[in-house]
Order: sequence, then structure tokens, then C-alpha cells
Amino acid sequence: LDGRMFFGSEMLGAAQTFGAGAGMSAGMPHPSMDGYGRPAARLPTSQVEQPKEQRWSPYANNGGTCLALAGDDFCIIAADSRLSQGYSILSRTTSKIAQLTSKCCIASSGCNADQTTLHKLLKFKLQMYQHQHGKELATPGIGQMLATTLYGRRFFPYYTFNVVGGLDSDGTGCVFSYDAVGCFERLKYSVSGTGQALIEPFLDNMVAYKNTDMKPTIDRTCEETLELIKDIFASAGERDIYTGDFVDIHIITKDGTRYEQFPLKKD
Amino acid sequence: SSAIETSAMSITEYNGGGILAMAGKNCVAIASDRRYGVQFQTMATDKNKLYKMHDKLYIGLAGLATDQATFHEKLKFRLAMYSLREERDIKPASFGKLVSTLLYERRFGPYFCEPVIAGLDSANEPYLFASDFIGAPLIPDMDSNGFVVAGTSSEQLFGMCESMWRPGLDPEELFETISQCLLAGSDRDCLAGWGGTVHVICPDKVITRTLRGRMD
Repeated sequence: LDGRMFFGSEMLGAAQTFGAGAGMSAGMPHPSMDGYGRPAARLPTSQVEQPKEQRWSPYANNGGTCLALAGDDFCIIAADSRLSQGYSILSRTTSKIAQLTSKCCIASSGCNADQTTLHKLLKFKLQMYQHQHGKELATPGIGQMLATTLYGRRFFPYYTFNVVGGLDSDGTGCVFSYDAVGCFERLKYSVSGTGQALIEPFLDNMVAYKNTDMKPTIDRTCEETLELIKDIFASAGERDIYTGDFVDIHIITKDGTRYEQFPLKKD
Repeated sequence: SSAIETSAMSITEYNGGGILAMAGKNCVAIASDRRYGVQFQTMATDKNKLYKMHDKLYIGLAGLATDQATFHEKLKFRLAMYSLREERDIKPASFGKLVSTLLYERRFGPYFCEPVIAGLDSANEPYLFASDFIGAPLIPDMDSNGFVVAGTSSEQLFGMCESMWRPGLDPEELFETISQCLLAGSDRDCLAGWGGTVHVICPDKVITRTLRGRMD
């Protein structure tokens, strides 16, 4: 079946032999002529099945939102725990966050397969560093390493939108934000994933106090920031279908990393 | 050399913009950005996207600018005919239905504009309406989410409104809230911005203010 229909072919039947019929030119039958030397009747192009290229894609977007917020002496990394494919939920309790060192966590949204592999690779590289140098790699170093790792796959990228958060060697909170191929920047806060557009302007307003002249004299404490993050994820979960179920929250301070799980709407 | 290049942008992103309406206690506010662009080139920074239908009814149109203009002209004509025949101003709810119908008339060759309507009905209760470009109506539940958004920055505006809106705002609080939502939302959208225009509609007056935000 070549997808083209000819009215003429029904009439030809067994008569479709070379040189059959009066007025036919010798040799191969021409597809636009019926076997009797007349132009074959055709359907209009709009009613004929056109060839369509089908292609398998190595990438899938499994949804989800990741956020990191740095304070003076703490850093909070949060991500929802929903794994989606299309309109279905594959899992409600899949973590997007990996603890890389005692002072650093990474959260990645995008393709779950690439996220798992990337986290595994980073942990391996950090273990090698630990063995060779006798100490953990500091958070800014991890930031740089992730950028080079991502760029190493410039021509078949990891489909992950990463956010690294932790304490630097001075104990100050730091956040690094990445695109899929390793362009990165150190920031005070960053969000990535399907809920990024929903959350980012709110952080601009409430953390960086943009477009306001209400910057308070006292910075938010770790507990107040935690409450803000829970509110943020609740709002994002309302409007983004890929964000919901639970939020995994890692709070990194000089005393170590604390883990909390906050429930969201399951719809 | 001035090469003419087109980028693969959707037709509703050709001009860009963001519209937002919010309800308070016996008042509504409607706001829009002021950018008029052609893909990534900004052409004007004082474009008006909010149109007054009558003292207690405003409509904002997001989407393709030419369709905004044409659709507004159609609405102006229909409203003029209505007030001549009925000898009164149209109710916001009726106007919402009119907008839906006019858009659906063009179901298979639509106007690429998304309307947002804000008004006060005869009891001075707020009325909000939004629709897609073929007229599917959305009238939000005023107790839980008294806001509607449209335009290229709709996701950003949704995120802001979801966090910042609460029921029972008075006109001044409503103005502050809607302004913050509009500015923060359009700051993160390269196709919307260059300040904003806000109308706060109260039973006795309409307060119009222009906002100055990131001028990019």
C-alpha cells in the first residue's frame, strides 16, 4: 500500500500488464495514467493520507518543580515529589533531591532518567575527589563541576534543569542555577521546572523585594523562610498540574542537614 | 543589513502582553502592561489594552494586536446599538455573554485575542470574566480565587495572584495587590512590561493610575 488510491486501479484489475491497452506507451505503466491511456482520476491532496515522519524521542519531561533559597547562614532546597508522564502520575513519592555532601544538595527537574544518572555521576565524582584530596568538595566547587559535567554533554544534553544549594566555606548560603547545558550563575534564590513561571515572580517580590520599597531591616529567619516555601509550593500546586503530592525539603545549616516532608494536594 | 527574520513563535505571542483583573469588596481592578511589540522588537511603550465600555465595565484584550483592535471596534459598535435600543448601560454579565458569542461566531477562523472583563453589577458586586479565544467562559468563584489573567505572562500572573490575593480587599489594598502582581509577573516575561496601567472601579468613581516598573 503506497497510500495513494487510484480509481483507475479498480478498473485495471488483471489488465495491469506492460504495454496493455490501446494508446499506452511501451514499457512501465505510468502511475498518473490508467491502463487505457487516460489520466487516472485522483482524490484531492487534502483527502489523501500524506506520509508523516514518526520519530522516537530520547527525552521525556516528567514534570515537577525545584527551588533553592539561601540565607545568611542557611540554605533550603525543596522539590515536589510527583513523577508524571503526559497526564498520568507515575509516582507520588519520587525524590528529585540528592544530598551530595554534608553542606550541599542538588535538585533537578526535567527528565527523570537523566536526573538519576546525573546525580549518580556527581556522587561518583565527589567520592573520587574525597579520596584524592582527603576532604569534601566545597559548594562553589560543586557548582563549577556540575557546569563542566553538563557542558561535556553539549551535543546530547542531560534534559535536567538543576538547582544546587548549600553553604560555602564561609558558612554563607549559596544557590547555583543552571540551564540544560551548564550555563550557571550564583544567586540568592532560584526555581526551575514546570512551576518556575508561577513561582519566580513571587520570589522576586518577596525575597528580593523588587518593585517595592518595603525591604525590612531584619532578614527572614530559617523558620520563616521554611513557612514561605511551604506556602509557595501550595500555591504552585494549585495551578500547575505537574506539581503536587509532597514537598521534600532539606534545610542545610552549620549543624547539618534536616529533612522535612510537607504534604500537598494530591489532584 | 536589515535581514527580515521570523522566529517560530505562536500567533498569540506575536505582540505580547499581560492582562490581569482582581475583585475586592464592592470594587474591581483591571490592569495591563504597556508594551506593544512585534516579536522581539518593541514598537511602543504606551499601548492601551484596557477599554472602557461604560462607567462600571472595562474590558482588557490580550493577544494579537490587530485582533484586539478589530474586536474592540466590534464591541464598541454592539454596545452603542445596545444602549440605543435598551436606553441603559449593559449589565456586566450580559456583556460577558456577548463577548463569548461574538468570539464563537468565528469558531473556525478565530480572533486571536483573549478578553478579560471587570465590572460592577447593579448591586455593586464585583463581576469578573475571562475566556479563551473562542469564547469559552471562565467566571471565577469570588470566595476562593477572585482574579483572572490573560496574555503571554499568564503563568507568572497566576503564580503571583494565587499567593497574594485574598478576599475582601478595599480599593487601596486592591490597587497595591494588583500592581505588585502585574509588575512582578511582567518583569519575568520579555514580551510584556514597560510599566502598567491600572483602573480601580468603585461604585462612585474609577481611579486610573500608571505604574512605572522595569522599563524593559
